[in-house]
Amino acid sequence: MSGEILLSVDDVSLSFGGVRAIADVSFDIRKGEVRAIIGPNGAGKTSMLNVVNGFYHPQKGEITYRGRTRARMKPHEAAEQGIARTFQNVALFKGMTTLDNIMTGRSLRMKRNIFWQALRHGPALDEEIKHRRVCEEIIDFLQIEHIRKTPVGALPYGLQKRVELGRALAMEPELLLLDEPMAGMNLEEKEDMSRFIVEANRLRGATIALIEHDMGVVMDLSDRVVVLEYGRKIADGVPDMVKSDQKVIDAYLGAGR
Amino acid sequence: MDLLRAIFIDPFAQMIGSPDLLAQTIWEGFVGGVLYALIALGFVLIFKASGVFNFAQGIMMVFAALTLVGLHEKGVPAWVALILTIAVMYALAVGIERLVLRPLVNQPDIILFMATFGITYFLIGLGELVFGGNPKSMITKELFLPGGSIDLHIPGGRVQLQKLDIAAAAVALIMVAGLALFFQKTRIGRALRAVADDHQAALSVGISLNQIWVIVWFTAGVVALATGIFWGARSDVSFALQVVALKALPVLILGGLTSVPGAIVGGLIIGIGEKLGEFYWGPLLGGGIESWLAYIIALAFLLFRPQGLFGEKIIERI
Repeated sequence: MSGEILLSVDDVSLSFGGVRAIADVSFDIRKGEVRAIIGPNGAGKTSMLNVVNGFYHPQKGEITYRGRTRARMKPHEAAEQGIARTFQNVALFKGMTTLDNIMTGRSLRMKRNIFWQALRHGPALDEEIKHRRVCEEIIDFLQIEHIRKTPVGALPYGLQKRVELGRALAMEPELLLLDEPMAGMNLEEKEDMSRFIVEANRLRGATIALIEHDMGVVMDLSDRVVVLEYGRKIADGVPDMVKSDQKVIDAYLGAGR
Repeated sequence: MDLLRAIFIDPFAQMIGSPDLLAQTIWEGFVGGVLYALIALGFVLIFKASGVFNFAQGIMMVFAALTLVGLHEKGVPAWVALILTIAVMYALAVGIERLVLRPLVNQPDIILFMATFGITYFLIGLGELVFGGNPKSMITKELFLPGGSIDLHIPGGRVQLQKLDIAAAAVALIMVAGLALFFQKTRIGRALRAVADDHQAALSVGISLNQIWVIVWFTAGVVALATGIFWGARSDVSFALQVVALKALPVLILGGLTSVPGAIVGGLIIGIGEKLGEFYWGPLLGGGIESWLAYIIALAFLLFRPQGLFGEKIIERI
């Protein structure tokens, strides 16, 4: 797991008004690894992901992705560069079916112009069919065939999370950001989701950055872990090392504060 | 007893007695309904993609028609004027996206709604400034729209169909069918629905909000132009025309704010309903019920089916 560095975050600070969400945090993500970001509630984990995919622009610091340092990137540009994500509180297109939701993940790869699309003929139709096939494969992979035509707003939470992962995978991302993919799931659903994440990583070659509260999952899945507390980085390393770090234990148990 | 008879029996006896009058009334209602549907379609497009109820849709219709006629008055050939007007609607879409929507992104819907009031008054001012406030007549002949009428013979008499009305219905049906397909089956259609549903999620899969908004407002502008041409041809092109846009409200309530097929069915129900009501029941109340019947129908719908006939049921998990 010592691939080249895909993304590096250097000295990033982000604040909202007077509230410091992230303070001078640096870490990197290597190609092909599963990188976990953990920490107590309010540690700045989600803010960190939002910085990486361009929802937030940090006041200070640099982000280098694929060797290119960027100033400001918009979310749809991040998507063009191969960064996909899921959200803590599921952001799906609720009125659309599972299949349509996953198809939106292909939108960047469908290039036929609006006129062909309006006619829905010729090249646009071929393209639609080709991408449909990719989506059907993802649906098979995630075992959600039975809900292909169901509007996702009507699905139980666990399945919505799965559809959201499917939409992100449809983008064939190089870097996949997962914000608490297992929140609110039961044990069985967590096991399924863990399997999907591992397979997305190994078989589909996505590098993964993962925020998760279930320590068992984090320790099993991830190659390296970065720990945040109150917007600062307090530990960074392989799971075993992080687990026995005194600062991390204090942060979680609230000792000495 | 006489009253009940006048309400429940006489009108129907009249319908059966002279089917030609009935057919004529339905046809007129149908044409009016198609045009209501076109206006409603403009609202639906923008509402679907940006969740904004665009109060300016009515004035966009007048503005488009006025630009077309105004350019022709200034000596521009009709076809060139048509193309120029489409270009103006595109520029308007880009302008609205840059100057109004982009700065207001993530603001509550009511703020965007108020902003469309601003757009309304801006367009009224701009239209009057450039083309003057006098009513103008639509350049139907120059646009090769047919004039005159066809007589259709049916058992019991004949029905007179204006060729212009037939053209209006045909154009409207083609537009509605095209847009419905476009929304359901294409990438951009899907992107439009995605943006309507969740801005953040749409951004994360790489959909550019700005681009989608321009497409939507431009499409709504073209629909407004088509509507303006046909409404303008039936009366005059003047700012008073925006009042008919208000009729789109009951149509929207009936059809559902988010449904393209709903806009057309709602339009037809309102159009035919108000003509039949006016012709057969109007005399009971001294006439003039055409102007408010639509709102009563809409009110009844709000009580029993607030999402409209085809609107998306709002699913909320608690």
